[in-house]
Amino acid sequence: MNTTYARYITLTGTLGIFVAVWWAVATAVNNSREIVGPVQTGSAFVRLFTDPPLTRLMASGLQVTMTSILIGFALAAVVGVPIGVLMGRYLIVDLFCDPWVNIWYSIPAIAFVPLAMNWTGVSATSSVLIAFLITVFTIIINVYGGVKNISGSLIDTGRAYGATQTQVMTKVILPAALPNIMVGLRLGISRAIEGVIIAEMVFTVVGIGGLMDDAADNLQLALSGALIIVLAIISLAFAEVMKYISRRVVAWKESQAMIRE
Amino acid sequence: MSSAFSRVTSFPVRLAIFSASLGLFFILWEVAALSTGNSLILVGPIPVLQALGALLQNHLPRGTLGIQGADAAILQTLATIVFGFGLGCVVGIPVGVIMGRWKMAETLIDPWLSAAYSIPIVILIPMLYFAIGADFFAEVFVTFLLTVFTIIVNTHNGVKYVSNALAEVGRSYGASETQFIAKIILPASLPDIISGMRIGMGRAILAAVLAEVLMSGNGLGGMMMTYQDVLNTPYMMAAVFLIALMGVAVLQLPRILERRLFKWKETESLSREIRR
Repeated sequence: MNTTYARYITLTGTLGIFVAVWWAVATAVNNSREIVGPVQTGSAFVRLFTDPPLTRLMASGLQVTMTSILIGFALAAVVGVPIGVLMGRYLIVDLFCDPWVNIWYSIPAIAFVPLAMNWTGVSATSSVLIAFLITVFTIIINVYGGVKNISGSLIDTGRAYGATQTQVMTKVILPAALPNIMVGLRLGISRAIEGVIIAEMVFTVVGIGGLMDDAADNLQLALSGALIIVLAIISLAFAEVMKYISRRVVAWKESQAMIRE
Repeated sequence: MSSAFSRVTSFPVRLAIFSASLGLFFILWEVAALSTGNSLILVGPIPVLQALGALLQNHLPRGTLGIQGADAAILQTLATIVFGFGLGCVVGIPVGVIMGRWKMAETLIDPWLSAAYSIPIVILIPMLYFAIGADFFAEVFVTFLLTVFTIIVNTHNGVKYVSNALAEVGRSYGASETQFIAKIILPASLPDIISGMRIGMGRAILAAVLAEVLMSGNGLGGMMMTYQDVLNTPYMMAAVFLIALMGVAVLQLPRILERRLFKWKETESLSREIRR
């Protein structure tokens, strides 16, 4: 109780310091073409919700961005989790895939952007493709690690009690690997968000990232800053939702990675 | 990862299987390119390798006058990465150690880290463009910004979770705080610091190339987007290949070294590293 209280105080204090420094720098520079202060940005933020044309623009951008993130992430989860499990279970799949997974995992997201532009154009589909590509390998690596490190005695016990392959998979392996699967999904969603935003900033015509980049190009820095705040709130919300879900799903065993965050 | 696993599968076997999957990949790529049949969408491996060879010999295609030569572009990107990443280490490692040693510092800095980890920092680039310009310094700053938090977080974790047994031995032999940090904390958390640096290096490549695409239009990132703009797919894919290669070299080679150097701590530090 006391520590949560202290945490809120530090958080508020940190935010206060941030805004104060921001204000001081903006006042010192005093050039709205270089940096805008918190007050102007705040009023632009309010305008985003009170000025109907702006609100419509933001809503359509938000819709595109959120759908891209969610579809890219969902596809990556649907593809990544089974591949990770197979790699963890079958040596031949492991040997065949492991180098590729590590290679593709290491490719920076921006390298996928021109390729996706060639394949699906400057569109939300490309954002989805990029989000998928940079998310799926993170998920595979984490699921694989989880399945691979399941202690043999768990599986042996299952076998000894006459469990079939399917039962071993659903009753032993998946539950035991669940903490790692959740970590993979949590890292995955943050990568999906980053991928979509990177794509949109390069495309400049799609989604919130595009609006933000466009506003900055038109020297509407306050508007751009307000959209950054919107994006930050979305990212925080996604992160919190994933944290909540993984706490619910693996309440019985907080994984190492979660404790150490 | 486990030693039993590496005993079962000897290096030649793994190499053979990897070569098979490499071959399959090139065949699939070629088939995909042939079936598209449109060089604006996808070209096969051979034109890309030719373009790569030409790029590395500084033979630029027609119609792209005024852009940097390949060597200058590669050097510029590498310089951005080295300076941004170097700055990230110089700032990040001490901050991580201080956070791991002093509760007060941890409390004060932790909110910044949580924010930096849940908000994609890349969204700041368009604003930074106007605040600090689009020159080399700006790109180094972006690279620093995207690198430093990864390094802080991993160093912090390593320092914080140095085993109590080690710490107690140090204390009972009367080590001063300086000795304690230099002789016990740093060596014990070295694997974590190094995996933080490795992951940070991966972030640095993303940051440098992204900054080039969004800010200056120079370097490898600028080159890649220029060829994309003029619809020269082989050269664009050659640039993509170079960028991908940098990522793979930076993230995978140290991992292999790390496994050899820190055999004693392998599993623990691998399970603890914070990838992003």
